[in-house]
Amino acid sequence: MLHIKCPHCGIRSQNEFSYGGDATVKRPELNKEVTDQEWDNFVYNRVSPRGKHLELWQHLSGCRQWIKVERDTATHEIFKTYKANEEVA
Amino acid sequence: MSSLSALENVHTKGQFGDFEGKDDKNLISISESTNLLIVQIVQYKSSNLLLDNMQIDGLNLRDNPPLVSSNDSTRILWNGPRNWLLVSKKKDILNKIEQKFNDNEFAVTDISHSKAIIEIEGKEAKEILKKGCPFNFSELEKNQCLNSTYNGMSVTIDMLNDDPDKFRIFGLRSFGESLYHSITDASLEFGYIAK
Repeated sequence: MLHIKCPHCGIRSQNEFSYGGDATVKRPELNKEVTDQEWDNFVYNRVSPRGKHLELWQHLSGCRQWIKVERDTATHEIFKTYKANEEVA
Repeated sequence: MSSLSALENVHTKGQFGDFEGKDDKNLISISESTNLLIVQIVQYKSSNLLLDNMQIDGLNLRDNPPLVSSNDSTRILWNGPRNWLLVSKKKDILNKIEQKFNDNEFAVTDISHSKAIIEIEGKEAKEILKKGCPFNFSELEKNQCLNSTYNGMSVTIDMLNDDPDKFRIFGLRSFGESLYHSITDASLEFGYIAK
């Protein structure tokens, strides 16, 4: 079983969390002209990296907060977790 | 008009499971808590109000997981950042809370009737919780609380005492019967008294 350190609650089981997708995707600036390709990239297109990856998770059955998790997609090792509004170093 | 408790139809008093030949004092006791005021208090992200002077029944709201502020009648559980669950025997404090916590800074919601509350007490109480909940209960101490799941159902667990261990388990009222059956099934091997 995977254990995730919630920055608010501490170490908890993965059962309490819900995966929320890629945390590196940035929404295009508001009111800025975007091409169809840029919008497609934002809404649909995702890379599927092998190795370190920054993900969004929600501590759904805990504090209900969204967090960022730096995880290795191949080994499932979790390097660090961040609050949603925290800048990733 | 009388109100029905969440576990009215399932909670049956008596002794169950492997209780024979055991002293009643050593058995797990399971009961339903009723007539409690339960209020969720959330401070909005836009609010910069300091909480130092905001007391309810002499207790402060502390943004300090997983600690519970408590006195004889009221307990304030940390439920998340800027989010608390107040549980009190004093039903009349709801008006005071609504007066003190204004609408622009806080969301105050009375959820007294939307929860099923089970109390378990006994030295094997943690073992019962471990059967359905992935939390490491060895590190949980008196006056601490947590949100987690019990057999997939979202629960809030409040540790009231440690001699013997005593817990209050809050589940959604709609999951009350399933939660009750999960807890009592897990208790059968130890034997329990339903009070």
